[in-house]
Amino acid sequence: MEQSENNEAVTLRNAACHTPASQRKDLLDEIKRLRRFSNRGLWALSLFLVVSTLAWRDFWFLPSPERIVAALGAPPTAMVISLVLVLYTFSAIILSLSRMMAGIRHRSSFCHVGYLCVFYLFYYFAEALPDNYWAVFGAGFTILCTESYRIWTFCNDKVTKKLEQLAFLERNGRLPNDDPGLFD
Amino acid sequence: MFDKIAGRALVPVGIVVTGFLVVCFVLLYSAIKNVVIHDSIVQANNLAGIVLKSTRHAMLKSDRTVNNAIIQNIGEQEGVQHVRIFNKKGIVAFSAKGDEVHRQVDKKAEGCVVCHEKTVPVTTLGNMQKARTFKNGLGKEVLAITAPIYNEPECANAACHVHPVSQKILGTLDIGLSQEATLSSLASIRLQMILFSILTLVLTTAGVITLLKMIVLTPMQKLQEYTERSEQNSNVSHPTGLPYELDKIAKSYYFIRNKLTETERQSVKSTR
Repeated sequence: MEQSENNEAVTLRNAACHTPASQRKDLLDEIKRLRRFSNRGLWALSLFLVVSTLAWRDFWFLPSPERIVAALGAPPTAMVISLVLVLYTFSAIILSLSRMMAGIRHRSSFCHVGYLCVFYLFYYFAEALPDNYWAVFGAGFTILCTESYRIWTFCNDKVTKKLEQLAFLERNGRLPNDDPGLFD
Repeated sequence: MFDKIAGRALVPVGIVVTGFLVVCFVLLYSAIKNVVIHDSIVQANNLAGIVLKSTRHAMLKSDRTVNNAIIQNIGEQEGVQHVRIFNKKGIVAFSAKGDEVHRQVDKKAEGCVVCHEKTVPVTTLGNMQKARTFKNGLGKEVLAITAPIYNEPECANAACHVHPVSQKILGTLDIGLSQEATLSSLASIRLQMILFSILTLVLTTAGVITLLKMIVLTPMQKLQEYTERSEQNSNVSHPTGLPYELDKIAKSYYFIRNKLTETERQSVKSTR
């Protein structure tokens, strides 16, 4: 990921050799891309709400847990699933906060929806979904809100920097290549 | 709001602490509920065993009067919703409620279907399988235990009435216990946990806000006021008692400001 960041910086530096018009276009494209990317967390949150609605209706379209248990064997107990859920929530939050602190670009939102969906399914197979539904929902909502906030603040910061670069370009007819911070 | 330090710092902390607390609260409550329900089922099973042991002698003697008296007395105990003994055909032989006696019970009814689901009925059940919960006519939650009465050598060889040795089950005891006390305990635990969670949340948020204000926001405000005042008056001294990093910034600003003032003075002198 950091490699791609470096590549992006190099691309922008190379872009400095181009005409101001093409540089301006590149910057505007980048701003548009960042604004689109900033909604990624909200899309993941919406998908999670859809999955949660299916879980709330007890996955009516799936075969009964007895049939699945008969085919695949006994699932882990609800206690084990809950322990793993607490560990997962804790690690995911710590990871998200670390990325927020380090300002790392990471597209991790949608994989969390997958993990949370697996938790719903495991509780469903263990016939413990009604008791633990709100735990998975709370975990998902917390993780995805933190991720959304992280992505949103990251994109906001980048957009601000790009806008500064754009203003500099329009004032001076070139990119501020002496300020490495602007190429982040 | 999100552009200011307070907003940026407090929003993630608020989301993370609230969310994690909710997850832990729900999981902990679910675990406690399972333990409490499991314990109440074990106790109900023990009670069913006690009832069977109490009636055993009267059954061996085929003493219906004593059996009736035992069942009636148990049925009068507070918290016992129903006690009945079925014979092999599913007919109520003894019950604490007189009108139930001699009534046939459907084998597909809840509590019977566990064993009579298949063509050959199940003869042994685990503790948890014997239990079922339902709401009775009064809308009260009831935990019922269906305990089989096994044929023992004393029964098969008794002179009074004959049960062939091949007959494994002679009948079943069905005892229903009110879940009111268990549910009220769970409600009390839930309330205490909610209160505890809210207090933890308020304390954490208040702690973060206080520390943030004390360590970052107030010194930042001092620094901001200092820079604004020094724009109008270059003789303003830099604020004291700031944290190390902010103090360095204030000193650097003070130094740059002095240098600038000095340069301005010199340039004014040279123009004269």
